[in-house]
Amino acid sequence: MDKNRIGINQLALLYLLSIAGGKFLTLPSILAKDVGHDSWLVLLFSFLWDAICLVFLLFAVRLNQEKQLDISAILDRTVTKVVSKIVMAIFFAIFIIRANILLSSCYKMFAVTFDVSTNWIVYVIPIVVISFFAVKLGFNSIARTTQLLFGIIFICVFVLVFSPISQVEFTSLLPVGEAGWGKILATSFTRSFWFSDYLFIYFVFDSIKVNKNRVFAPVIVAFVIGAVLTVLMNAMFVALYGDLAQDFDLAMTKIGVYFVSNSSNGRWDWLTLSIWLMSVIIKIIVFIYCAYKSLEKIFGFNKDKFNWYAGVFIVALLMLPMFISADVVLSTVVMWGLVPFVLVQYLLPIALPFLTKLALRKEVANG
Amino acid sequence: MKENLLEKLQKVFYGDEDLRVRQVQCGISLNVVCLDTMCDDKKVSAFVFQPLVYISDAKSVKDVQNKLSAGTVAKNPPNFYSMVEDLTNGYTLIFDESGGCVSVDTRTTVGRAVAEPPTSMVLRGPREGFVEDVKVNITLLRKRLKTANFKTINLAVGKYTNTAVSLCYLDTIADKSIVDNIAQQIENISVDGVLDSSYLARYLDSNKTVLFRRVGVTEKPDVAVAKMLEGRVAIIVDGSPMVLTLPYLFVEDMQSPGDYYENSTMTAFSRILRFISVLASVLLPALYVCLQVYNYQIIPLQFLITVMNASEAIPFSPLFEMMLVLVIFDILREANLRMPSAVGISLSLVGAIVLGDAAVKAGLLGAPAVMIGALSGIGLFTLPDNTLVLSLMRLIITFIGGTMGLLGVTLSIIAILLYLASLQNNKTPFLAPFAPNIPQDRQDAIGQKPVPQMTERPKSIPNKNNKRRG
Repeated sequence: MDKNRIGINQLALLYLLSIAGGKFLTLPSILAKDVGHDSWLVLLFSFLWDAICLVFLLFAVRLNQEKQLDISAILDRTVTKVVSKIVMAIFFAIFIIRANILLSSCYKMFAVTFDVSTNWIVYVIPIVVISFFAVKLGFNSIARTTQLLFGIIFICVFVLVFSPISQVEFTSLLPVGEAGWGKILATSFTRSFWFSDYLFIYFVFDSIKVNKNRVFAPVIVAFVIGAVLTVLMNAMFVALYGDLAQDFDLAMTKIGVYFVSNSSNGRWDWLTLSIWLMSVIIKIIVFIYCAYKSLEKIFGFNKDKFNWYAGVFIVALLMLPMFISADVVLSTVVMWGLVPFVLVQYLLPIALPFLTKLALRKEVANG
Repeated sequence: MKENLLEKLQKVFYGDEDLRVRQVQCGISLNVVCLDTMCDDKKVSAFVFQPLVYISDAKSVKDVQNKLSAGTVAKNPPNFYSMVEDLTNGYTLIFDESGGCVSVDTRTTVGRAVAEPPTSMVLRGPREGFVEDVKVNITLLRKRLKTANFKTINLAVGKYTNTAVSLCYLDTIADKSIVDNIAQQIENISVDGVLDSSYLARYLDSNKTVLFRRVGVTEKPDVAVAKMLEGRVAIIVDGSPMVLTLPYLFVEDMQSPGDYYENSTMTAFSRILRFISVLASVLLPALYVCLQVYNYQIIPLQFLITVMNASEAIPFSPLFEMMLVLVIFDILREANLRMPSAVGISLSLVGAIVLGDAAVKAGLLGAPAVMIGALSGIGLFTLPDNTLVLSLMRLIITFIGGTMGLLGVTLSIIAILLYLASLQNNKTPFLAPFAPNIPQDRQDAIGQKPVPQMTERPKSIPNKNNKRRG
């Protein structure tokens, strides 16, 4: 059996966990800083772009279900090998930066909320080791682990998001669009780096098991649930904290403040938070997996054996937050890379059905 | 060549005083050869010598074979190797002067009687258990499967032990490719000897799993038959009362033989209890330590005060204290296993009551830590086949939890799940029906549907016929 094979339901669950995994940490405060209480609208627009791209991407998956070409094979045959490698390099940059930012957010969460301050190396190495273990075992084991943990994680997300709902005054989100629609739209572009959680699908493009053309429904449902939850959570966060929202950079830990915070009952919300954290770690594992696969496609090394040079290179890059803070990375590297990132985040999925069709036609022509 | 076979046999067995050779006249001169300790004297007399007394006109060993109708098996071994194999298995060989040979089944049936297996006692349900004799074990299966579809493949493994191994399956249910694959795996085993089925289990695990058992083991024929009815293959090894079953799922560990003879609601309740107790056993010590060391805010205030009062005078750190409790528990368990049952009870009393109580009173261990350790230890026994593995896991997770806090526990859980999710044997994912999710198979996983409603065989076990009554 192909160790990277993934079922469409597994893909949907993993996608849903990816959406909920990373956007509940520092993003809400960043958006609150940018556009105040209209931050939920930025999320809404960003998810709208994501929805369009996702439909195109799924259409490409459906086209590819018979021949099962991988993403670099499609790009090699349609836009030349050089462009294909450049695209893979952009992917590598995106995944490494995303992994770094998520790792930094988690690190901060442990230091601030759980009061566990460790050395960055001691903190990162176990996560990276598990990620490399996942690379060795194959994507299938990540998908199955997600399937096992999904229920408990999602119960915790629901508990965390909905427990303070009675305290929220949604009227404080009015007037809608106060920051100006132009600014909201511009922010959804400048903060696009946080979105397009479907990017990992490119790296399992040739391993998706599709049953009777059932490609769209499970993934779209997962996307809708994830998007609604994220927008709702963000709206609640800014409604609860108002102007202070931009100062609380770990939204998920703050949203539970109105939960069972009575000291005689214990902070049980922290336990649910720890369980939710599993989705963040799974997301980091997926990012590191995709970063490794990008290198594999750029340098073409043996798929069956773990390449230690690539591993060491990834570890070295994940040590960067020791020298550069996540805020600096977001304000410089991500801003410089915005255009190439948008190309693979939004343009590539829209072009992918056409590229897939073209590659398949060439495949048939070449026999 | 043929004339020398008897001499060759005597040469091979030179120095073995167990070998008996007796010459008999019945028209021609015949040599009767057997291994004294492997044959049943009564059978040799009744199936070989008594018929030979009445034969006076035999011209060759073929004539003798036709008249040896009292025995169940009288065959011509095709080569010298088969003759040696038959002889060592307790067959009696009859040679004529021209070198012809007949082998008659006179195997002794020395062995213990069928009894209730000590490792799988049930309140309700059959009490028969497998014994060491492969023939008796196949009989126990056949008694329950009175169908021509019951098939066996007989193999021999071990250079010196030449142990008989039988693969039993139902040919209208089991996937033939899996049966062939298992037979091939067994044929490829190159080993000096097989003394128990657990030797084979190590060879049949394609992933060479370090921690978890990948082959099912049962001592009860009713369980083996139930598994064969789901498309699995039962592997019986001569000399072992433990029958192996393949393919094997993790969820089978949660099932107990008695589950199928109880009300399905009660069974579901018991299984949920087992599941919770396993989770608690493995995670509770780790959570206790990391909450006490790093995140005591999570613990309710009253409970926290109790814990703090009980542990303030303890000279060890919470991690060391808990590790000590767990290691002491493991030592007691190990000692208890090795002791005769009468001494074992005293040992349990000394260990659990005297040692535990004394340690708490002496202020070396805190009462909450002893209680958590004991609770966790008892929980492990709900999965008796995996006690050791789970015990090792809880030690490791406790250590990681104590050094890295909740992040360590979270990472440990993810790492274990990633590993388990990657395991696959004979086209069967180890964690099915949960990962991958196979709703149809959940009818007999943590919950259990009443037997009349279980109309389909598990999808996760490849089979030819999915309908249970089809």
